[in-house]
Amino acid sequence: MAEKKQEKKPGQAETSITPHIQVAFSPHFSDYSLTTQKVMMDVLIALIPVTGMAIYYFRLYAIKQILVCLISCLIAEAIFMKMRKKPFSLFDYSAAITGLILGLSLPGPAPWYVGVIGSFVAIGIGKVIFGGLGMNLFNPAMVGRAFVMISFAGVMAASGYIDVKGTVDAVSMATPLNAFKQSGTSTAILDLFLGFTNGSPGEVSALACLLGGIYLCIRKTASWEIPTGVIITVIIIGGLSDFLSPQEGWTLFHHLFSGALLFGAFFIATDPVTSPLTPRGKFIFGAGIGAFVMLLRLFSGYPEGVMFAVLLMNAVTPLINRWVPHKTLGERKKQR
Amino acid sequence: MEKFKNNYIIQAWLVVFLSLCFGSALAGVQLVLSPKIEANKINETLAKVPELILGKEGVKRLAKEGLSLKINPRIIQIKKNNRIISYKVFQAIEKGKVSGWVIKSSGRGYADKIELLIGLNPSLNKISGLFIIEQKETPGLGNKIANLDFRKQFISKNTNTAIIASKTGATSPNEIDAITGATISSRSVCSIVNTAVKDLRSSLKKNQIKPI
Amino acid sequence: MAQDPTSFERFIQGIIPENPVYRQLLGLCPTLAVTNNMKAAMTMAGAVAFVLFGANIVISLIRNLLKPHLRIVIFTLTIATFVTIVDRFLAAYMYSMSKALGPYIPLIIVNCIIIARCEVCASKQSVITAGADAIGQSIGFGLALASIAGVREILGTGMFFGLRVMPLTWPDWVIMVLPPGAFFTLGLLLGTFNLIESKMAKNKNKG
Repeated sequence: MAEKKQEKKPGQAETSITPHIQVAFSPHFSDYSLTTQKVMMDVLIALIPVTGMAIYYFRLYAIKQILVCLISCLIAEAIFMKMRKKPFSLFDYSAAITGLILGLSLPGPAPWYVGVIGSFVAIGIGKVIFGGLGMNLFNPAMVGRAFVMISFAGVMAASGYIDVKGTVDAVSMATPLNAFKQSGTSTAILDLFLGFTNGSPGEVSALACLLGGIYLCIRKTASWEIPTGVIITVIIIGGLSDFLSPQEGWTLFHHLFSGALLFGAFFIATDPVTSPLTPRGKFIFGAGIGAFVMLLRLFSGYPEGVMFAVLLMNAVTPLINRWVPHKTLGERKKQR
Repeated sequence: MEKFKNNYIIQAWLVVFLSLCFGSALAGVQLVLSPKIEANKINETLAKVPELILGKEGVKRLAKEGLSLKINPRIIQIKKNNRIISYKVFQAIEKGKVSGWVIKSSGRGYADKIELLIGLNPSLNKISGLFIIEQKETPGLGNKIANLDFRKQFISKNTNTAIIASKTGATSPNEIDAITGATISSRSVCSIVNTAVKDLRSSLKKNQIKPI
Repeated sequence: MAQDPTSFERFIQGIIPENPVYRQLLGLCPTLAVTNNMKAAMTMAGAVAFVLFGANIVISLIRNLLKPHLRIVIFTLTIATFVTIVDRFLAAYMYSMSKALGPYIPLIIVNCIIIARCEVCASKQSVITAGADAIGQSIGFGLALASIAGVREILGTGMFFGLRVMPLTWPDWVIMVLPPGAFFTLGLLLGTFNLIESKMAKNKNKG
């Protein structure tokens, strides 16, 4: 989720007392056309196919969840920014994107308070407490989601996706990963790829995630290294587990196209604030996420692990930054 | 004189004196309270036995008739996979007849060890009660295994078939409803019950002591 | 050296101005570990109060006999004795609570509030002052535990002291009774406490 950029709006920099330190490796080209707003606009455009698919397939469930999260995130941002006496700008879209991503990643049938509490935690504890946009350690949307996921496991875990009395067919079946974990039934790959399965509104369609994600990478709003790292690791570990203990009907492609993997790889992991700075670091970051996802999927009690994987790798991002420092142009290897 | 003053035993006279005082005070406390603590520990399991075998109504009836169960605690060891496992078993006797058994067993839960008591009828083919002594499952989810609503599902289940925790609602007679969001804890309880009953049924049938 | 605070000052200071949890940040281990329901938190507060009172009185009585290099040994010895008494007492009369609190009762021995009070107050001042200090600090600690446990129990289970206060439709915030909830609650309450404090200080300066 490329929702934050270190670039501050010029007006903001003048009003604050403490000097802003730009954290970026050389060369320091200042491209003022690349404002936070523009970046965020790109992310919003990239999320159109995913959101469209979610609304087309889940109808009211998706619309309700997205609206609840969107509105509460904006309200939360307004309140917390006022509390910190910082200028509030609705129009850098960052809170809106947090809300949209949170809405897309919560189960459709989950009750309204889940979205509201998730949004307030995402903005408050996930972002503002650390100093606001650009200072946060963890991906805000995932902080919010983790909070409600642990709090309201009853309506958030696998069974939370199922609404038997639902008006939409989709929500009457188990999610593909859960169906497999519980009863060993696998879902057709084409359905997984196109998105005709149950799940969080944003994650169901692999195709829509790929479309939006590739757009983000081409626009260089998201770094291609992160999703590549995730996908390569999942292919390797998924392939290995396929090879070592072939599970009936659950292949490598199921691992790739099911759950929140692609959605997470393209929209959540790519948040520039909470991912490493160098290309190599980004690749390691992505690979770490892929490895954690597979570890959680194969060996833990949870059917899916993208959220925890992203949060865990967010925590080690500072270490990766240290481990893989940027090489200055023309620098030689140190003599030992 | 100087040497005498610097001797560390002399220096520490207060420490030594206080240690003696506190030590004897603690010994007194221990002497007074230890029977009570021991009784608590035993009561914790023993007091549950009648209810596990006879149910709440049965215990009331027993109290009305002024009778009480005679409980024989014993340790039963069985050999399994070349390892000796010992179970604590309570045999309850009412009016000279075996009225049921209670097995104390434990196993791995989601967070930590789950320790429970299983009540069985005299012929060992039906569960008459279940009680969770110790568990550290997730508060709000897994710790619901200790609630009556969950435990009472086990009552009068047949022990010939393994009990299964079902996520989607129990349909067949050997199934119980798993707790929403705590499938692993629910399954752990089932598996502890199943293993204990399987392990002990034959050996309990074999060496039933004739009640005197 | 400034005049030592009087008994009354000691008593008042412990409750809010020098609250052991919110101002001194001492004794955070039980503050985080046993505050997921009011019953456990209040039992803990009671146990700490007993140990603190006992230790303060004993240390104050023997304060003139203390040798500087052996004082910590004596503090620890005294505290450990009172903790053992509490531990046995709970096991005898509140068995289920003693099991629920588990290792946290023996761990009162290393609770820094008590050793800090022995060092700061009891080893220097009279028995009455030491007693007043212990009571004040205990009330402060109890209030701090109650505030955290209250928030956590109400949000996490919809109950207060095991009685339902929230409507039955209240969704339990399970995370609040889990360890992360302790950190969130302590952090937010500490922040609120500091905010009020700084506002009050500002008003004072103005007036």
